[in-house]
Amino acid sequence: MSAGTQKIVPLADLAARVPDGSSLALGGSFLHRGPFAFVRELIRQGRRDLEVVKQSPGYDIDVLCRAGALSRAKAGIVAMEGNFGLAPWYRRAIESGDVRLEEHACASLTAGLRAAAFGVPFMPCGGIHGSDLPALNGWKTIEDPYGSGEAVYAIQRIQPDFAVIQANEVSASGDVRVYGTSHWDRIMSRSAKRVLVVAERVAPDASFRDQPELTLVPHFLVEAVSIVPNGAWPGSLWPDYEIDYPAVEAYMTDAPGVLADHLAAGPEAREAAHV
Amino acid sequence: MSEAASNVTGAWSGFSYIVTNLARFVRPNEITFSGVNSALPMLACLLAKRAYPFAFTYINVAGGVDPNPSKVPISSSDPVLAEGSRAIFANEDFYDLCTRGLMDLCFLGAAQVDGLGRTNVSCIGDWHAPRVRLPGGGGGAVMLPTARRAVTWRTEHSRRTLVETLDFVTAAGGMHGVVTPIAVFTKREGRLVLASWHPEASLDEVRDRTGFAFSADGAAPTPPPTPEERAALTALDPEGRFEADAGIRLR
Repeated sequence: MSAGTQKIVPLADLAARVPDGSSLALGGSFLHRGPFAFVRELIRQGRRDLEVVKQSPGYDIDVLCRAGALSRAKAGIVAMEGNFGLAPWYRRAIESGDVRLEEHACASLTAGLRAAAFGVPFMPCGGIHGSDLPALNGWKTIEDPYGSGEAVYAIQRIQPDFAVIQANEVSASGDVRVYGTSHWDRIMSRSAKRVLVVAERVAPDASFRDQPELTLVPHFLVEAVSIVPNGAWPGSLWPDYEIDYPAVEAYMTDAPGVLADHLAAGPEAREAAHV
Repeated sequence: MSEAASNVTGAWSGFSYIVTNLARFVRPNEITFSGVNSALPMLACLLAKRAYPFAFTYINVAGGVDPNPSKVPISSSDPVLAEGSRAIFANEDFYDLCTRGLMDLCFLGAAQVDGLGRTNVSCIGDWHAPRVRLPGGGGGAVMLPTARRAVTWRTEHSRRTLVETLDFVTAAGGMHGVVTPIAVFTKREGRLVLASWHPEASLDEVRDRTGFAFSADGAAPTPPPTPEERAALTALDPEGRFEADAGIRLR
């Protein structure tokens, strides 16, 4: 994590930093502002045995399952959303046992990430009482050491190897700006060991100095950045573009060649091929 | 007659019944939340804003706080739902609001609901070898026990959705309300009881199609939609696109 050096690298180089077996906190939610060009590049590079850590993955976890790149997941809710329903290749991977799920509530996953971000081994999380999830995951309660008698679930630290954030704009030195909701990207960027970013474009350094409150992640936390216009396709990136519903619908087709066609249609692939 | 037309002209479609009855859980001056994968509660919150003569705070998973969206999105987490918002109240914010006891009403999804108002959104069959892996509960396990009131909906009213025994308890704490195409349940003394049934259904039909035992003391046919409720839903779904996507049938 260095300041001021050249951080902008080609997407292929960014994805090549992720070894097989890595755990990845992926930014965004469902079809919105996910690092989807990055995920497709991992698939093109033949990555295996990955783990997704995300409160609400959808297309990203589904396409990784479809390509056989995933072996584990920590998630709260998984769906394609919109009007597309369940994530079919993810569902199949869990039902067949090819992918091992650690099922969370979104907030328990956040608690685990908070523990990592705060530098402590566990984090209390409200609610959860009466759910079967603690027995499934071995979550333990602790009693208030200050004597209120209240017992809360303590969620173990979750420290992903990488957070991968899809951003609107970056500075040349790697400051990250996001418009609209930040979903869980902030806590992901503070909890992961390394932070990688894909952005639509570079914005002038002066604009970051003018409005520093818009910077979600400062450059010194960011290892490297790639510039990929339309990189959240087929999802949305507010306010630049909306979900490409026909592209998602085409992706959902279960037939030979559909995944390859889908990967070839990604804006990052089209740019590389100068289409 | 199309389903959309039916919303205007008389018969009460399952789609309109669910959205309208979800909206009726919204109360003045409260904080109400709609989340991901929740097109019907999103429509209910937007309907309540249009149809009811009182103020409430509507927050949503796109970070919106009383937004003024330029259109109604297909995805209930679409960033359009933060257009015109005065703040971005992001995911960690609304979960923390809920766990510290300030979320008045939240809408949470469910695949199965039992008579205690607990939910399964995890799996059909054994969790470790599921016949069907479901999406997972999202906020449920944390929000259902900590929200002041939580309400869910099922687009299918049957003994496989309203069950005596859940395949897995994703979230406990007890729903305050459950809305199906033919019935509205609410919680009394820790159990779901029937509040009302669709005017085209009957108490016998609701009992026949419900897997858990329930009291129907005081239950009656659901009051039909008011002109304001009908007009609001028509304005939100003028072409019947949401109604067609939802594909809800009374039976």
